[in-house]
Amino acid sequence: MGKKLIEFRNVSFRYGDEQPWVLKNCSFDIYEKEWLAIIGHNGSGKSTIAKLMNGLLFPQEGEIIIDGQQVNEESIWSIRKDVGMVFQNPDNQFVGTTVQDDVAFGMENRGIPREEMITRISETLSAVGMQDYLLTEPHRLSGGQKQRVAIASVLAISPQVLILDEATAMLDPKGRTEIMQTVNNVQEKNELSLITITHDLQEVVQADRVIVMNDGEIWDEAIPRDIFSKKDDLREIGLDVPFVAILADELKANGISITKEPLNHEELLEDLWTLHLKT
Amino acid sequence: MDITFKNVSYIYQRNTPFAHKAVDDLSFHIPSGSFVAIIGHTGSGKSTLIQHLNGLAIPSEGEVTIGDFYLTNDKKPKNMKELRSRVGVVFQYPEHQLFEETVEKDIAFGPENFGVSKDEINKRIKDLIPAVGLSEALLERSPFDLSGGQMRRVAIAGVLAVKPEVLVLDEPTAGLDPRGQKEMMEMFYTLHKEQGLTTILVTHSMEDAVKYADHVIILNQGTKYMEGKPEEVFIQKEALHKVQLDVPEMVQFLNLFENKFGKSIPFERQSIKEIAQSIQHIVKGAEKP
Ligand SMILES: Nc1ncnc2c1ncn2[C@@H]1O[C@H](COP(=O)(O)OP(=O)(O)OP(=O)(O)O)[C@@H](O)[C@H]1O
Ligand SMILES: Nc1ncnc2c1ncn2[C@@H]1O[C@H](COP(=O)(O)OP(=O)(O)OP(=O)(O)O)[C@@H](O)[C@H]1O
Ligand SMILES: [Mg+2]
Ligand SMILES: [Mg+2]
Repeated sequence: MGKKLIEFRNVSFRYGDEQPWVLKNCSFDIYEKEWLAIIGHNGSGKSTIAKLMNGLLFPQEGEIIIDGQQVNEESIWSIRKDVGMVFQNPDNQFVGTTVQDDVAFGMENRGIPREEMITRISETLSAVGMQDYLLTEPHRLSGGQKQRVAIASVLAISPQVLILDEATAMLDPKGRTEIMQTVNNVQEKNELSLITITHDLQEVVQADRVIVMNDGEIWDEAIPRDIFSKKDDLREIGLDVPFVAILADELKANGISITKEPLNHEELLEDLWTLHLKT
Repeated sequence: MDITFKNVSYIYQRNTPFAHKAVDDLSFHIPSGSFVAIIGHTGSGKSTLIQHLNGLAIPSEGEVTIGDFYLTNDKKPKNMKELRSRVGVVFQYPEHQLFEETVEKDIAFGPENFGVSKDEINKRIKDLIPAVGLSEALLERSPFDLSGGQMRRVAIAGVLAVKPEVLVLDEPTAGLDPRGQKEMMEMFYTLHKEQGLTTILVTHSMEDAVKYADHVIILNQGTKYMEGKPEEVFIQKEALHKVQLDVPEMVQFLNLFENKFGKSIPFERQSIKEIAQSIQHIVKGAEKP
């Protein structure tokens, strides 16, 4: 694993003095260049973590350190330049009056030269399939088009840390896979840390590491294969495992011995084939 | 209520240089009591289509009939309020639906507006809160001080509180956790069966469409691309790829299985359990050639 980029040290947070604690003594690290998925039931604290990472909120207890700097009111302006985020509802982040302005906005703030901006606008919008909507007003887009544009805007600034909070929830499975492939390519090329908050188990499988939140606490932190081997416990806290893992279980119930917890179709088929050759 | 679209087109920003035809000469018929899934790529016109069902959009061309209500460009129904009390629409983004000061007031707004008594409203809220997986502790909170999934649940409760006859759901499980997705769909299905609703589900989950819908309509660029039973539509890999969609994950797996084992397991809306049994027969060589 690379160098630590983000550290949460005993972080607790609540939205008001009278309100319940929604994060309770959370500690974890995020490394350079890794893809970390955060999963957890509705209201478990995932979006709150995301907002703490780019200083939209500050913890009442504990501290958050990004690239050696503590996140606080002074450091936040420089930190935000390095942390790009797509919100759960893209309407909350559109600033431009047209799609093209919206993508340009983040780059202007970072002083990217005009020539470069023009190139990146067209590159990122093509990458998400929105090149034909340059002059459209963002609020006139369909639900999925809004998410695509929001992702293009953050890819254009190529931040060191990229946080996607359910950023593909409104896309069909194929669109989702394509967009995540694009994001993943950018991540690898530019060596970013990618943090995806998602309920899509297919997507979680592809991450390097997973943090599972439960009621404001860190319930587990491990590689996807280890997380998804805890099937019953995950269901207990409102989560589930991917289709192949469910199928593998049903196969076991039918007396088929599965040697390795499968994470994708190919792994399960390979296992079945080996078994088939032996019988 | 029966729903019929006859040559319907819808144009956004009509008569401006930005005019955009989002629905294009669309015709279909949904008999009362059906459960229909509407599927299509980003921007294919799904949300625009369903906004016609409670008169939020009026067709630019063609006619929409919902029960006794009749919508055309020059003839809006006189009783729009009645239409809205009988057709409930859950929007794609819950934020577009929520507006009251508290969660409780938000859920009560619909039934209050349609003249339901205070006692009855309270009873409905009491039943709905656990049914959508919320806790009573949230009733006094502003609906905007909630997590994304919690907002979605409040928006759904608000529509169900009106007890509509036609339930229109625009990606109702987006943002719900896995258990919430399952429980919410089961709840819609139970309501659909028990109360004889007509249900229209816009979804990206082919799995849900296979499980619950008796009819599927595939949209592409505002027009109807295919329609039929889920098990007929969802095996047509090439046709779906053409409109940037894919077959359900289970069908993908069965295709790969056939490539590897040279034996096919036809897709007939089986459960995972049934698929596992068929696979076991082939893998263990028990299947007769
Ligand atoms: N603005 C707010 N004011 C008060 N409480 C809030 C606010 N936003 C969120 N909460 C509460 O904080 C808790 C954590 O919310 P958060 O948005 O972090 O959850 P999440 O894990 O992102 O959930 P989801 O999967 O539904 O998006 C929830 O119980 C929620 O009700
Ligand atoms: N308010 C609006 N003004 C102008 N054009 C719009 C407006 N809303 C949607 N459109 C356009 O109409 C087309 C259909 O949009 P619609 O929202 O119906 O798509 P959708 O199938 O629901 O897509 P998604 O899966 O992304 O939600 C899109 O090309 C979109 O850009
Ligand atoms: Mg959230
Ligand atoms: Mg839509």
